[in-house]
Amino acid sequence: MADLSESDRLQQETWFQRTIRRPEIGAFVVMIVIIFALLIMSNGKAFNALGLKNNIKIISQFGIIAMGAALLMIAGEFDLSIGSMIGFAGMSMALMLKWGLPFGLGEATPFLAFIITLAMTLTLGWFIGTVVVRSGLSSFIVTLAFLFFLRGATEVGFRLINKSTQVSGLQDFKQESWFADLLGGKVFGWFYDIWFAIGQFFVDQGIDRTDQWFTLGGNLNRRGTQWVDGFDARFLWFLVISAVAYFVLSRTQLGNWIYATGDNKDAARANGVPVNRVKIGLFMFTAFCATMFAACQVFDTNTADAAKGNLMELFAIAIAVVGGTLMTGGFGSVVGVAFGAVTVGLVSNAVFFIPTIDGAWFRVFVGAILLAAVFANERIRKRITGGI
Amino acid sequence: MVQPYLKVEGLVKRFGPFTALGGVDLEVYPGEVHALLGDNGAGKSTLIKTLAGVHQPTEGQLYMEGTPVNFRSPRDASAAGIGTVYQDLALNQLMSVTRNFFMGRELKGPLGTLRMDEMNQIAHDEMLKIGIDFSDPTQAVGTMSGGQRQTLAIARAIYFGAKVLILDEPTSALGQVQQMGVLKTVKRVRARGDIAIIFITHNEIHSRLVGDRFTFLALGKVIGSGVAADISDKEMRRLMSGGAELGDLKQELAEI
Ligand SMILES: Nc1ncnc2c1ncn2[C@@H]1O[C@H](COP(=O)(O)OP(=O)(O)O)[C@@H](O)[C@H]1O
Ligand SMILES: [Mg+2]
Repeated sequence: MADLSESDRLQQETWFQRTIRRPEIGAFVVMIVIIFALLIMSNGKAFNALGLKNNIKIISQFGIIAMGAALLMIAGEFDLSIGSMIGFAGMSMALMLKWGLPFGLGEATPFLAFIITLAMTLTLGWFIGTVVVRSGLSSFIVTLAFLFFLRGATEVGFRLINKSTQVSGLQDFKQESWFADLLGGKVFGWFYDIWFAIGQFFVDQGIDRTDQWFTLGGNLNRRGTQWVDGFDARFLWFLVISAVAYFVLSRTQLGNWIYATGDNKDAARANGVPVNRVKIGLFMFTAFCATMFAACQVFDTNTADAAKGNLMELFAIAIAVVGGTLMTGGFGSVVGVAFGAVTVGLVSNAVFFIPTIDGAWFRVFVGAILLAAVFANERIRKRITGGI
Repeated sequence: MVQPYLKVEGLVKRFGPFTALGGVDLEVYPGEVHALLGDNGAGKSTLIKTLAGVHQPTEGQLYMEGTPVNFRSPRDASAAGIGTVYQDLALNQLMSVTRNFFMGRELKGPLGTLRMDEMNQIAHDEMLKIGIDFSDPTQAVGTMSGGQRQTLAIARAIYFGAKVLILDEPTSALGQVQQMGVLKTVKRVRARGDIAIIFITHNEIHSRLVGDRFTFLALGKVIGSGVAADISDKEMRRLMSGGAELGDLKQELAEI
């Protein structure tokens, strides 16, 4: 039987072969290399209590928007408006918190400011998606238009309402509002409790470890008297968004639709996949991710600025690609994107831990791994499609 | 005489001033392979797209088991039991066999989760029924041979309720061995007895091997039809070349 023998020609792979052929393996290896390089070059400072917290912060920021960009890319589209959407959402929340709700509807609570902003950004995401699928134009050009449009609108909005393009010195909402705390406060305090308990243990044993690993500034910490009492709340949101993205993509019908839409949308449509709704939904998802990015920033720092989120759309796309997402759609891995976020986040922060290097190397590095990733992804695609 | 599953009466399809189909009649019966033959541009694809609900007929009427039907969309047609396997197969290469098999019609559990084990099993079993034992339905379609892809697309159409299975040139882009594989698959589907197959080709040998009934199209019109036994090889060759005698063609060529 000709066709019977055909399927047997596919070699049975061992666990190891399967693992090294996974799409995220490249991102994983690069991440491990970076972690060790940074550990050695910074003398461990990059991963002491404060270093870890700061690194996780930037990793989470990158990770949140990269998840949105990656899912959209898997469905075959780009969103260049992510960075401007961050600026827009930040402005919207900060202006409401400072000047009250629109139309003189009174004071804005953090919750109201967030929900109203989210309603606006989701509507914008819906609109961008609708323009892309209805016009049939490349999402590259449509979202480029929104990159300019939203950034301009943000600045104009700031000037009209606030005179200046910055809002600073907002009250620290997270003190009173549990909602603001959920976005801008601290999470996983137990992690540092354990961390410092270990440090205390060493001291109690008479092994006075004064390096930076378990202590801060040479002093042992007790909860409350130190600066580092948890991770930024955005870490939690990064984990939540990643977990949901992973679940949806690999385990649900919607995930199958996302892959199908990006792979070959005509084939997907012929089989009854609602291609347009999938795409519009994912444009709304990137808008959601941008809004979460902005909300965490506003409630963490109590400031906003018309320039916030600048270039973030490009980092989001770069991280998605480094994580193994195909530029042409149809393929990608949430786990790989998380690895990509760790890599890019660590390198962008490296200058703080290794003061002797020039911070501009960061971009050189991102450019280099991006190029390497594109080639690696292309090889994976060829392997899967049998070289076409 | 058995009632035809699908009957086409006086079908006309015009694209603006251009008449792609000029009054086509066709009957397909369960358990039979109806070979639809004709040169490029004869209107074969237009005919099956009309049957599949992609185009609406300008004139004429379709009947399913005797009742008149009007398909406004491919969805209507597939709900009525028309399963079309196009030349491009509507498969996604980067996705697994199972994910392709159930694309758009996934089996869902709570929260929209995929019932993956069950889906893998069904995809495997359905493909086995018509001839390929695919050990790993989680592998990407991109790694399959053309013949296997064809089988996947056919198995999918049948599983989702096709009573009339339309195959648009299923052998045209394949090598010899795989062509035979597809013909075997067609035979197996035919052997079930409950499915009518419309087999489009411009390969005379293939249509001879599997066809029970023939319809020849040229320039949008039926120029000949009949059951296999009634059509001689010579007659077939004449109809395949659009009704011209081979002798005439030789003559024409000689004149150049
Ligand atoms: N959507 C369309 N609009 C205009 N003309 C069409 C369209 N589809 C097919 N045709 C024309 O109809 C004729 C028959 O085409 P087709 O059905 O594809 O032939 P076949 O499949 O037999 O090769 C061709 O001349 C083609 O150009
Ligand atoms: Mg054709």
